Amino acid sequence: MLFAAPAMLLFATFVLLPLGASVYYAFTFWDGFSAPRWAGFANFARALTDPTFLMSFVHVVFYIAATLIFEVTFGLVMAVLLNSDRRGFSLMRGMFFAPVVLSMSAAGVLWKFVLDYRTGLLNSTLRSVGLGDWAQPWLAQPETALLFICIVSGWKYAGFYMVIFFAALRRIPRNLYEAARLDGANGVQQFTAITLPMLKQNVIVCILLAVTGGFAGFDLFFTMTNGQPFGATEVPATWIIKQAFDQNQIGYGVALTVVLTVVVSLISIAYLKISERGNVTRY
Amino acid sequence: MSRATERRRNAAEWLQFGTAGVIVLVMFYPAIWMVYSSFKSNREIFRAPFALPSQWRWENLVEAWNVGGLGTLYFNSVFVTLVAVSMCVLFATAAAFAFTRLEFPGRKLMYRILLIGLLLPPPSVAIALFTQLRDMHLLNTPWALILPGAAWQLAFTVFLMRAYFISIRPDMEEAARLDGANTWEIFWHVSVPMVWPAMLTMVVLNTISVWNELLFALLFITDDAQRTLPVGLVRFSGYHSTDYSLVFAALTITTVPILILYFILQRHVIAGLTATAMD
Amino acid sequence: MAKRFTLATATALLLLTTAAIAQTEVRFTHSITGGASREALDAIIADFEAANPDIKIKEIVFDDDQYSNQGLITQLKSNEVPDIFFEWAGYPVQRDVEAGYAYDLTEAMATDGWKESFSDAVWTDGAGTMVDGKPYLVPLSLDLTNTIWYNKKIFAEHNLTPPKTWDEFVALNKTLAEAGETPIVEGNNEFWPLGNWAGHIAAMVVPADAYVAAFKQEAPFNTPEFEKALNLLVGLHEVGAFNKDMQALGADPAMATFFQEGAVMHPIGSWLVSETGNLADEGFEYSQFNTPPIDPAHPLANSVIGTITGLVVHKNAQHPAEAIKFLKFLTSEASQVKWAESGQMSPVQGVSDKAKLDEQTQAMLALMSGASGIVPPPDNKYPVPVAEAFYQAAAFAASGEKSAKDALVWLDETLAAMGKQ
Repeated sequence: MLFAAPAMLLFATFVLLPLGASVYYAFTFWDGFSAPRWAGFANFARALTDPTFLMSFVHVVFYIAATLIFEVTFGLVMAVLLNSDRRGFSLMRGMFFAPVVLSMSAAGVLWKFVLDYRTGLLNSTLRSVGLGDWAQPWLAQPETALLFICIVSGWKYAGFYMVIFFAALRRIPRNLYEAARLDGANGVQQFTAITLPMLKQNVIVCILLAVTGGFAGFDLFFTMTNGQPFGATEVPATWIIKQAFDQNQIGYGVALTVVLTVVVSLISIAYLKISERGNVTRY
Repeated sequence: MSRATERRRNAAEWLQFGTAGVIVLVMFYPAIWMVYSSFKSNREIFRAPFALPSQWRWENLVEAWNVGGLGTLYFNSVFVTLVAVSMCVLFATAAAFAFTRLEFPGRKLMYRILLIGLLLPPPSVAIALFTQLRDMHLLNTPWALILPGAAWQLAFTVFLMRAYFISIRPDMEEAARLDGANTWEIFWHVSVPMVWPAMLTMVVLNTISVWNELLFALLFITDDAQRTLPVGLVRFSGYHSTDYSLVFAALTITTVPILILYFILQRHVIAGLTATAMD
Repeated sequence: MAKRFTLATATALLLLTTAAIAQTEVRFTHSITGGASREALDAIIADFEAANPDIKIKEIVFDDDQYSNQGLITQLKSNEVPDIFFEWAGYPVQRDVEAGYAYDLTEAMATDGWKESFSDAVWTDGAGTMVDGKPYLVPLSLDLTNTIWYNKKIFAEHNLTPPKTWDEFVALNKTLAEAGETPIVEGNNEFWPLGNWAGHIAAMVVPADAYVAAFKQEAPFNTPEFEKALNLLVGLHEVGAFNKDMQALGADPAMATFFQEGAVMHPIGSWLVSETGNLADEGFEYSQFNTPPIDPAHPLANSVIGTITGLVVHKNAQHPAEAIKFLKFLTSEASQVKWAESGQMSPVQGVSDKAKLDEQTQAMLALMSGASGIVPPPDNKYPVPVAEAFYQAAAFAASGEKSAKDALVWLDETLAAMGKQ
């Protein structure tokens, strides 16, 4: 029992305790300075009718969908593509994973420069090949801002999922493929009949990571646009921080986080239940 | 895995190599561009964005180091990461050991509670944590980042370590117990050496997360002297935002060491992840 | 035995002397990150520390956006509060007093003629340095919150001169846009740069009582007068006056763009002057003109938008006495001359005559003293959430996201949902 104690203690103090405090603060009006005043459910009522907050969920769902495509699926495809013992592949795997190692803020800063309207790499490239008309203020337009943040996130994290799937691919016994080939199955058939089912467990976990990670998304959004333009890239986390710190409405900010946490928990639990149905997962 | 290097590549393999190569190069190019752009002057960056620097201006890096106070930032980041990761991996391994090799009441419940950490978005407790740290007088100290940093990595780390423990049969530990070893000895002398690869992987993964953590570092530290790299970088790039060469130099200095470290440890990460099997 | 005794005494003496010259550290937080003004400030601090070896001033600095967002708040709420913090006059000071952050300076101001050393204008009701008749803000600068800076060379190239009316202003924007220049650059990521300007424009168009009532949430914003004001911004947008990435650009990058001749004009405040040394090339020639009159009959047609900025002592400061001592030094004539020469407008009497001011500062002082009124920026005079909502509405209009009317409808709805602040 003692062995679990340090971890549990640390966890309880710095994760559970603030969580509990959050739930309490959510029921107050508090600006962080003066004494909190009881608010009952007022904050929650406001949260559920706050148009920016609701919109932020739409944005984050879009982001998660993009993550599933640009990161999980792309990572899986690259894992298959990079699955070879030939020379050069190890280096390529390393290069593909490298952006994961960067901090989100470094990636955000770098891409902010790449996407800058006047002097960024992307627009400069377009102008130099005569496609100057296509140059846009990518991060200043509501239509493209969110999309580009998703692309940057994909650039950064596809490598993470690639490595996970690659590790799993390595564990599939070779003889399965041999047997299938002898039976006349081609590459695609081998993929669908052998690879995918063996990877199923990994895919499930990766989707869960993508979903929970997506809802928590803050760093990249904060660094690149902080909700601009006009809230087109506002996600729950950035809005929460704005309310709590910029607007000094702690009670309300915390109520927002409670709503966010409940939503994420419900989705995750539902997802796990559904995926558990076909598996024996020991919890 | 032996290298199938002797057999010549067939057309399909060349296609695989080519496609993969193109994609990887395109993905990696922004990082390369950032590095060699940091050696250019601003004018050069605007005029000839793709070209290599006509003159490799190492003084950009020096200037970025000084202006950005990168020395202090580095030191703080290293200290915070070192302590937080050590704490987390150690505690998590011990806990995973407890959850899989030991019997005690509440074992399952504790693990389930820990799993909550996997679902929680850190921003959701940032505010309450701020107040809590203030009351504990930890704000503006490295501990404000170390303790929550370690705590928040625990769920994921325990999750993976436990999976790894499960994938290893408890035979060795049972043999040790029969030999009369107590639990502590079993842990240190039998279990830890066995799960060492997975621990290494967790060290690498945790290091990436803690090193790059932004939100808590932004909110809990206000003193320049205690600041960590990610926040320093954001502030630096805000103020010097049109001095491209300076900001790129700062970015290069802060990311290249990590990249090099990663390339060296690459094998361990993949080996570790293979071993933990993510079941 | 003798040796040990001597050693012990020596150590004791050393400890005593160290304690005697132990320094008091005064924590001073602000958002002056660089430029001539930072140098002046550092020089003044160095002078003070030389004259007072037992006091050390520790500066905690954030850039503009960060300071207003979390930089100041996190410090005020922490348990190592700053002894001195930078603040804007008006509503922010009031809020600080109400929250229990501000130290009552009545006594300190009454000694050594400190209060009288400032110009009378800073102690008027509207100045916002006092709450309930008690001074809380030590004035440090007069800010011209928004004026239109322009690149002299490019203006000359197109034969342009500072406009005398709004219509002339729109026309010259059109000329510049058609010539392929970016007429105006504004970094409106945080809404306040354009917002301040919009607040001024609205004050010059909307009758004063309707203006005040709307910001106090006693009357709606969706009125024909406010619509006219926002439509002026829409008009500018329609002739292509604004930079395309206005909402994605931060305040600092926008200023740098102006200095690097990436745009012709930059509506921002008087603090631009002190950044010239940092961000502009040698020989960069610039000047400014006030927002031209829109409605000559309006009492505020020739007004400027400005405010006072200064320093507040924290109510729970560890070392209030030392903090006040430093502030008195900072606002003494000698220090203020240095301050003014770095490009600031000093609130202390007589300084502007003594200091060798650069032509920009002189021009701004002349502008301010010749104005028919000083309009405070909305986020200084009124509750910040209301002001910021107005700033957002202005951004909607200026970027073409919403029509003027829709923006105002949105504004009223948002304010209604927010409740009375």
